Amino acid sequence: MNIITTRFGEIDVDESKIIDMRAGIIGFEHLKKFVLHIRDEQNPFWWFQSLDEAVIAFVVINPFVVKADYAPVIDDNDTKLLEIENTDDVVLLTIVTIRQNPFSVSVNLRAPIVVNAKKKIAKQVILENTAYPVRYNLTVPGSGEKASIAGDCKKGDDCEAASL
Amino acid sequence: MLILTRKLGESITIGDDIKITFLETKGKQVRIGIEAPPHIAVHREEIYQLIREQNIQAANVESIEKETLPNILDGLKHLLLRDQQKR
Repeated sequence: MNIITTRFGEIDVDESKIIDMRAGIIGFEHLKKFVLHIRDEQNPFWWFQSLDEAVIAFVVINPFVVKADYAPVIDDNDTKLLEIENTDDVVLLTIVTIRQNPFSVSVNLRAPIVVNAKKKIAKQVILENTAYPVRYNLTVPGSGEKASIAGDCKKGDDCEAASL
Repeated sequence: MLILTRKLGESITIGDDIKITFLETKGKQVRIGIEAPPHIAVHREEIYQLIREQNIQAANVESIEKETLPNILDGLKHLLLRDQQKR
C-alpha cells in the first residue's frame, strides 16, 4: 500500500511490516501504526514513520551502534505485552534527537522502542536502570564536531556559521 | 483531588484491575506496590515527563529542512564510524 508522508512524499509500505505500537510513543500515545523506513542501507540512521500522522517521523538508530555494551532489562509486564517468546525476535530502536541552535544530537538510551519483530508489536519502554541517560550525546558540545556533522561546511568556510 | 488516609499494608483499588498497596515509610519516603494490567503504563512522574519532552523534541525533526537533514545524518554516520574505529 502507498502512504503519503510529509518528509518522503508517497512511500510504498509492505502491510506485513506495519508495527503496532501498543502504548504509543510517550507523548504521542494516539499514534498506533508505524513503519521502519530505511532510506539508505549504508546509513545507521533510520526513520520510524507514523502512518496515522504523515508529519510525524522519528530518527532512530540501533542502540548497539552507539553503545556496544548496551544491555537493557525488559520487565515481565512488557515481555508479556509484547508477546515475546524468544529474545531473538527482539529488535531495539532508540530515538535520536537533533537540536538546532545550538546544534546537538543525542540518543535516548533510557527509553528504547522494543520491537517484537516476529509479531510486529512494539512499545517504548522506560528502563529502571538509571545508568542509561535520556540524553546520551553523540556530539560533544563546543568541540567543533558540529561543523563536520553539519555536512555542508567546506574547508575554509566559517564552520561556526555552517552549524545548524 | 480525592484524599484518603491509609495504614501500612492497606490498599486502594482503582477500577477493576488496579491496586495500590502502601508498604513502608522511611522518613519522607513512601514505598508503594502497584498491581496493574500490562497495558497500563506505570511510571515515576519526573522520568515520564522527561521522556515525553525528549520525544516531542525528537519529533521536531520535521522542522529541519529536507535538504539539510541527509547531510546531518551522513555527517553523524562518519562520526559514529570514526568512534567505532577508535575503540
